[in-house]
Amino acid sequence: MANRSLPRLLQTPAVILLLLWMLVPLSMTLYFSFIRYVLNSTRRPEWTSPSLSNWRGFGNYEYVLFNAKDFWFAIQNSVFIVSSILVGTVVLGLILAMLVNRTFPGRGIVRVLLISPFFVMPAVNAVLWINMILDPVLGLNGIAVAGLNNIVDGLRDFPVLGQFFSMWPKFEPISFRATQTSAYAVIMMVTWQWTPFAILIFMTSLQSEDESQKEAAILDGANAWSRFRNLTLPHLARPIAIVVMIQSIFHLSLYAEIEIVSRGNGNKNLPYLIGEFSSNNIGAASATGIFAVILANIIAIFLLRMVGKTLMD
Amino acid sequence: MAIVAQQSKFSKIFWPLLAWAVAIVFFFPIFWMVFTSFKTDADAVKPEFLFRFTPTLENYTNMTQNYDYWRFAINSVITSVFATLFALAVGVPAAYAMAFNPSRHTKDILMWMLSTKMLPAAAVLYPMTFLTKNFLDIYDTHFLLIVVLCLINLPIVVWMLFTYFKEIPKEIIEAGKMDGVSTWGEIKDILIPLAWGGVASTALLTFIFCWNEAYWTVRLTTTEAATLSKLIEGNRAPEGLFFGRLSAVSTAAVGPIIVLGWFCQKQLVQGLTFGAVK
Repeated sequence: MANRSLPRLLQTPAVILLLLWMLVPLSMTLYFSFIRYVLNSTRRPEWTSPSLSNWRGFGNYEYVLFNAKDFWFAIQNSVFIVSSILVGTVVLGLILAMLVNRTFPGRGIVRVLLISPFFVMPAVNAVLWINMILDPVLGLNGIAVAGLNNIVDGLRDFPVLGQFFSMWPKFEPISFRATQTSAYAVIMMVTWQWTPFAILIFMTSLQSEDESQKEAAILDGANAWSRFRNLTLPHLARPIAIVVMIQSIFHLSLYAEIEIVSRGNGNKNLPYLIGEFSSNNIGAASATGIFAVILANIIAIFLLRMVGKTLMD
Repeated sequence: MAIVAQQSKFSKIFWPLLAWAVAIVFFFPIFWMVFTSFKTDADAVKPEFLFRFTPTLENYTNMTQNYDYWRFAINSVITSVFATLFALAVGVPAAYAMAFNPSRHTKDILMWMLSTKMLPAAAVLYPMTFLTKNFLDIYDTHFLLIVVLCLINLPIVVWMLFTYFKEIPKEIIEAGKMDGVSTWGEIKDILIPLAWGGVASTALLTFIFCWNEAYWTVRLTTTEAATLSKLIEGNRAPEGLFFGRLSAVSTAAVGPIIVLGWFCQKQLVQGLTFGAVK
């Protein structure tokens, strides 16, 4: 057995590094969440450095939960953004995976085109969408609406139909920089980026589907919908669950997109709110951070349960 | 029978066409970015030049002058390459130990490693800033980014390598041990050559993740070690007048990575689902 101990020791560097990475900053966050700690204060300079004498108990948590006006909004918005993205990516992913999961000319190219958005860096994704596509004046959004208005204007001159078209209002492009609409913009761009991921996973899973079962169903006269409903969907249940949970973890910490699209317009999620608190009120930022950890853990427990079953086989 | 035949002829044409149409729609934003990068800033915002314009390379030739592109790009390359190498250096021995000398706790350790990936980065933002700025004095250095990028990807690296190593028959490694090969020799001369494909695709995927990382690279740098994510993030303002040059720098930042990504689609599934989808 002695010759086994050295090989086993080889995992210790990885374990120790990850242990440090996890424990050191997190315990500091926990500590800061229980003390009064601000970066700038002329009135109470003793609060500007972390110290046990500034102990506040659960005061920061109380402040965040009941007095900070944005906390509940940020939670609500985080959940709204994440769940919208999940619904979008799973539905689109399912449809497109089934669409591509057949042989046709140029299938390889179609796959390459479909997977590409996933590799775009988040910062570029956000800058590209909010400026060049969604901008209400200069982006394609504005150009398309202006073009539509021009067409309607032209049609007004027609003898009979003109009557009808002159009743049409002038279309206004939607601005995606307001609080609510910028959340939609974020949902749109992230859905675009992560649908390829869902497609890829569903396609991998579809390839292991039992074809003979399907053929038997066709012979029995089952139509396409009932084949999907009773055979394919149960087969995909597990991949769908995995896509949902992995994405939840990634999107709960969505940051670059919110920062780029929504800076200063009130649209925020939990990580963004923590960033805002961190510019001064470290106590509140830390308490919010602990809430974020709890939220992520609830999801993580489900994911680990699910993945754990197939881990060692 | 006739109806069935007719239907299948219809679906033979319709579904592929639809698939092509959807793929083009999905790719369109990327195409549009590349397309706009060949317009001058003035042309890029004029509807009448939407498709008809004189292509120019000036956005690319002026990239250094407009954005100091290469400084950021070199930082991205340095941090991503070294983070990947370190992650492999720590991850290969760990995955080797877990795959060929598992103990009762191996499963728990792997699970725990995954769980570190789920810690929300924002929760430890201030402690990281505090430690690196006031305590260790490594804020805004390449070293810091390399360490952080390495650590956030380490669980995925260990995981992917573990799933590859598990495929290798234990007997081959055991045979090496009989012949008196050292542990280091086993890894270097037997394991790595056998699992070369797996190691390479793990490296490629890790590199892509490092390159695209946009939380720590933005929050832990100012100028010295700032990467391409930081460069683009800094130019987020509605710069309507600079669509051309912004597109060029964006294209340069994501182009090579998209091409790399095409080569490791399959590994992506395994890497991101921890082998749970086959």
